[in-house]
Amino acid sequence: MPHPEPPPDPFRQGLSFAARIGVELVVSTMVGTATGYFIDRWLDTGPIFLILGVVVGGAAGMLSVYRSATRSGN
Amino acid sequence: MEASQNPLEHFALHRIVELHLFGFDVSITQATIMGWLVVLGAFGFLAAGASQRALVPGKLQSAAEFGVEHLRTLVIDNIGEKEGPRFVPLLTTLFFFIFFSNLLGLIPGMYTLTSQVMVTGGFALMVYGLSVIVGLRHHGLGFFKILTPPGTPVLLYPLMIPIELISQLARPITLAVRLFANMTAGHTILAVVLGFVITLPLWAGWLPLGFSVLIYLLELLVAFIQAYIFTTLAAVYIGDAVHLH
Repeated sequence: MPHPEPPPDPFRQGLSFAARIGVELVVSTMVGTATGYFIDRWLDTGPIFLILGVVVGGAAGMLSVYRSATRSGN
Repeated sequence: MEASQNPLEHFALHRIVELHLFGFDVSITQATIMGWLVVLGAFGFLAAGASQRALVPGKLQSAAEFGVEHLRTLVIDNIGEKEGPRFVPLLTTLFFFIFFSNLLGLIPGMYTLTSQVMVTGGFALMVYGLSVIVGLRHHGLGFFKILTPPGTPVLLYPLMIPIELISQLARPITLAVRLFANMTAGHTILAVVLGFVITLPLWAGWLPLGFSVLIYLLELLVAFIQAYIFTTLAAVYIGDAVHLH
């Protein structure tokens, strides 16, 4: 029978944390890039918003990784 | 799993009963049947655990009590004493549904419900939508202060608002992609490694077979961890909406 155990031990907590932050970084960059791309297509403004979107999306990804890192610390 | 050459083949959906309702294709696929089995499994586990109500709990009862109690503390820790208990039933249900679909999908011949991005995406949108509704109900339009973290100088608003907006928009997507990608990747690796067993000659074929057992054990751990992460993050997002930072 399945046995849902809580993760009190640091190994499993670390594992669940590691499984979490990778995706956050990638998806935030992707969302930023896609937003920039579609704003460009909508306003016909060359690659300006695309470039901005990559940078802002990457920053957002790092911010959310930083947030989850500090949250799990306390 | 048959000796198919394509390791992704077992993710494909097949219509078992063709059904069309109001122009929508609502055919019953193996995923639909799997969903029923997951509901039956999760409900059966909890109902069997709760049926005896012994003072000295048996194995099943203590497993069920342990799970529910732990989830309760998890949700209340993240959302708070006052608002937390309202979300316990929803998030506990979510955990057990995801956990059982991950777990039952590991039985050979069964379908993994959570390897469909539509399923995980549906859950993610539901949870995120709920967090927005909760935020708007608690704070009204002040909920949008979530886009400006406290202590941000007004000069930096043009920079911080897009960044926060993107990190908010990324939330449901990360939630969906994480679960879906983990389950799909694990099952693909299993299929590839098991494919080696068939294609390699006998003297080498036992090696990947032993390896696949190890991966299977890892997948059992991942099945639990991913369900746990999904529930934790759902609680964190709702808690963020209640407390605003």
